[in-house]
Amino acid sequence: MRRNNHWFIVIIAGIFEIGWVIGLKHASNGLEWVGTVFAIFVSMYLLIIASKQLPVGTAYAVFTGIGTAGTTTLEIILFGAPFKLAKVLLIGLLLAGIIGLKTASYSEHKDEKEEGYS
Amino acid sequence: MAWVLLVIAGISETLGVIGINQINRSKNVLSYAILLGGFTSSFVFLSLAMESITMSTAYAIWTGIGTVGSVIIGIIFYNEAHDWKRILCIGLVLTAAVGLKLID
Repeated sequence: MRRNNHWFIVIIAGIFEIGWVIGLKHASNGLEWVGTVFAIFVSMYLLIIASKQLPVGTAYAVFTGIGTAGTTTLEIILFGAPFKLAKVLLIGLLLAGIIGLKTASYSEHKDEKEEGYS
Repeated sequence: MAWVLLVIAGISETLGVIGINQINRSKNVLSYAILLGGFTSSFVFLSLAMESITMSTAYAIWTGIGTVGSVIIGIIFYNEAHDWKRILCIGLVLTAAVGLKLID
């Protein structure tokens, strides 16, 4: 139960991550920049909180996966970027590498999370 | 030039990730300074890079460099394992980043 709540926090953090990435590219006035900076802090804060109760590497992998998939999809749907198969595949490959690194980092140190390094 | 800014942003993000890690270990002023300095410069450079690189490409490479950077620092300074799986994953990230640059 408690753990599920923390995974939910990771998902919310990922959504705020998508928010600030869009803001960083598209913010055009003061209010939008304030919202962007706010989203940056919220996403980092939520990720830090959730990481204290979850395997850090896996939490970060899920978080980055949401951010990467979200920005790639929304860029096409909301901002009319052309769909390029090669680009989507390369981003997928890059994401696979990140997830591999984040999950492999902890697989050997499951019992010493405090000593872990992400 | 935008790609150089993007690499600088990724390296700065590595610093920020180190800050997060330090805060999880001990909440001192230096940890927060590393986190704040690293991420501030990271977001400024990422924003500049995004002026000419598309959002998803810039974000993926930025976070990829940040991850690879922190793994390499873990291997060098924290004596973490450098087995073939991790080296392969680092290769994947870097190959994909170069590929994205080439098709841009």
